[in-house]
Amino acid sequence: MRDRLLEALKKSTADYAEIRVEFTDNTALTYRGPEIDRAESSSCCGGIVRACTKGGWGTAAFDSVDDLGRQVEEACRCAALAGRSTTELAQVEPVDAERPARLERDFRGVGLDEKVRLMGSYNDIILGAGPAIETSYVAYVDSFRRVHFASTRGAYYMEERPQVGCYLVATARDGALVQRAHFSTGSPTTYGIVVGLEEKAREVAERAQALLKAPQPEGGPHTVILNPKMAGLFTHEAFGHLSEADFIHKNPKLRELMAIGREMGPANLNIIDDGTLSDRVGGHSFDDEGTPTRKTYLIKKGRLAGHLHSIETAARMGAQPTGNARAVRRTDPPIVRMTNTYIDSGNMPVDELFAGVDRGIYACDGVGGQTAFEMFTFSASYGHRIENGQKGELLRDVILTGNVFETLKSIDAIANDLTIPEGLGGCGKESQAPLPVSFGAPHVRIRNVVIGGK
Amino acid sequence: MRSVLTASTEARLKQGLEEASRLGASAAKLHLRHEDKLECEFEAGEVKSAGSKETLICTAEVLINGSKGTSTGNRLEDVSTIVERAVALARTAGSAAHFDAYPAPADTTPVETRSERTLALSADEIIEASRRMDELVKTYGADLYIRCGGDRTASESLLVTTGGVCNSWERTAWSLGLFAQRMRGTDMVLTHDQRAWGELDGTYDVEAIAERLIEDMRRAETIVEPPSGRVKAYLPPDTLARFLFALVLGISGRNVAKGESPLRDRVGEQVLAPTLTIIDDPHQPFAPGARSIDDDGVPTQRQTLFENGVLQRFLYDLDTAGLAKTEPTGNNGCTPNNLVVQPGTQPSAELLKSIDDGLFIRGLIGFGQSNVMNGDVSANVGLGFRIKNGEIVGRVKDTMIAGNLYELLAKNVVLSADLDYTGCFPHAVIDGLAVSTK
Repeated sequence: MRDRLLEALKKSTADYAEIRVEFTDNTALTYRGPEIDRAESSSCCGGIVRACTKGGWGTAAFDSVDDLGRQVEEACRCAALAGRSTTELAQVEPVDAERPARLERDFRGVGLDEKVRLMGSYNDIILGAGPAIETSYVAYVDSFRRVHFASTRGAYYMEERPQVGCYLVATARDGALVQRAHFSTGSPTTYGIVVGLEEKAREVAERAQALLKAPQPEGGPHTVILNPKMAGLFTHEAFGHLSEADFIHKNPKLRELMAIGREMGPANLNIIDDGTLSDRVGGHSFDDEGTPTRKTYLIKKGRLAGHLHSIETAARMGAQPTGNARAVRRTDPPIVRMTNTYIDSGNMPVDELFAGVDRGIYACDGVGGQTAFEMFTFSASYGHRIENGQKGELLRDVILTGNVFETLKSIDAIANDLTIPEGLGGCGKESQAPLPVSFGAPHVRIRNVVIGGK
Repeated sequence: MRSVLTASTEARLKQGLEEASRLGASAAKLHLRHEDKLECEFEAGEVKSAGSKETLICTAEVLINGSKGTSTGNRLEDVSTIVERAVALARTAGSAAHFDAYPAPADTTPVETRSERTLALSADEIIEASRRMDELVKTYGADLYIRCGGDRTASESLLVTTGGVCNSWERTAWSLGLFAQRMRGTDMVLTHDQRAWGELDGTYDVEAIAERLIEDMRRAETIVEPPSGRVKAYLPPDTLARFLFALVLGISGRNVAKGESPLRDRVGEQVLAPTLTIIDDPHQPFAPGARSIDDDGVPTQRQTLFENGVLQRFLYDLDTAGLAKTEPTGNNGCTPNNLVVQPGTQPSAELLKSIDDGLFIRGLIGFGQSNVMNGDVSANVGLGFRIKNGEIVGRVKDTMIAGNLYELLAKNVVLSADLDYTGCFPHAVIDGLAVSTK
């Protein structure tokens, strides 16, 4: 494949061109209630050529890998249509590498019948957990991607990117009230991640039933403690997306707002994106432009310390590429994305974090979020009241919203228990989803967070 | 687009059905989709990218001993492998099938989905439309950050089933999108609009998209205190469409059969306000969801879902119809093909004037993260305006809405006589929306 890609790129008439070809095998098995609701597999190949001429990008995405030279010509033709200024792309030492997957336990060696049996056992636990359990959703997914990349700079790599995981969801009902509890996990290295989750299945079933009796929080500002999953989601959604330089580089006002050195939060706040964490799904050796991944400080000691870059945004902003140009599907162009993003550990024991709250809300396990630049909204899977420093009553429908700049400044304590949960991610941007990412944090306390409620 | 729907492709798929039978499948279908797309992105006054995309997807679904296996690949020469994988899945890990056979060919309603004019739309023309949108919005403020773009898609599909269906169809579509951002200090105004349609007709209106964004920016100039408590809300058509999301989940036959829909057992009951008549119309020419036949080979039909607020029926695909022991309605995934809300009687401008104090909801962030199946919503008002004495007086910030969509849509809902560019959604005023603020 190496020679085929480099040969095809000889047809380039652009300032820069790259070609990425992928072979992907996926399996998805889903229980919904007592039956298997979905059993699907796919095996696809295809890719994309991206070319840059006079600063304009042309792309040619394809499923047929038979005539790659023609795709290079098409991308160069489109680039010529788009380009009107100058091509500015940061230099990266061209790689020449092969990175086969290193799997501790290869999911491809496990039979479909075994995967079904395992998921069926979790499903039985959820469905048998109590009379209020109405239905279940238990899904197994695996994916094995082999990515070949080459550029007109002479770079070539082959990287295998496996991932395997599962979702456990319990739905409980009381009359018209329906409540769900979720757990998900994922790994790029081992099938073992989906084994031995019986206790997690019991937990989600019990929580879904307990949430039926839980009240909603009162709407309005509260002191909130976020658990690591929830703080991780906040970091990713509310702040991480603002650090993606493709939002910033052509937007002078936003560039000013996200200027390096700007004070963003308390002095003990450090936020990091690290694509080198090879045991998390956001970790790879190279991004989809051939840049090696690395650890990037986005906030250091409370001040803005860096952005996430592609080769284009790095050149335009006078920075180094950070290895964050990523594509979801084989036919997608790479765009600036996060990898594994987290708030670094602070030094306060978790108990002290809680002790400082007379009345507040403990928000746990984020299930989703959305941002529009400064504004964010995201949901906790569940929450608890905090009264006199103690975790109290269970709460449902805990939804947080606010302005990220104000919220980061309102962080008043960071615990010493950093956790980056194993998961499958599922980030979406510009119609590219679900991207494997992970995120985490220690427990974090924030004052004056608006909680939605009736 | 270079067509792949040749006689030999059809023969190859039919051969795939025979292979499935030989491997023990009691029923099978093969669905091929081939798509060709041109797209263009424009950012900060210049073309960011232009591109083409050609993709092909072939899906095999087979039934063996009451189990269903589905497999997908993207090379025509792999049809045998795709079928073999589907068979292997059905044998070892197949999903429960609730039907025995794919339906025999039946009469279908022809629907226009392919336009020569759309097909002829070039990359240059899409770039020009983007440039025009950028220029128009720039006239309002040179400091605006603008991104826009568009695409043109041509696709062809072929479905063959052991029920005897051999049906092909073609579809064209364009879309245009425009996003603008204004920033003053740390205060940002974000707004966007988009259109998508099958025919290159009056709906392809670059000026209208730009004017809507300019109107948003003008209305956002002043920041005002949001209303609080339970308020009246004005929903433009695209916001109303989002408010119907819970209903789409509720009328899904799958969700009903699995016991998850709050609408189960409620057919014939007054679920929504009497002003709401909602139809699924797959036969509207060039609508994005227009189709004659669904992916199981079941003819589609125009059907009323809510008549004057009374729930009429649920939507079933072939498998779910078997599960619920009813007839399929021609709705893949048990979702509406093309939702249409019947208009009201007053012009939208009068609806706005009728509000003494309320909230105009132009954009929401995080809608759909609550228990939407249950109807619960809680969302941030990404872009919203306060209405006082029938006039928009300014933009609100730090505002969240919460409520139950079933309860909100069961109260006093007033719809406008004028509809959006698709002819599917009116403007609406709803009552009793809970608003919380910082």
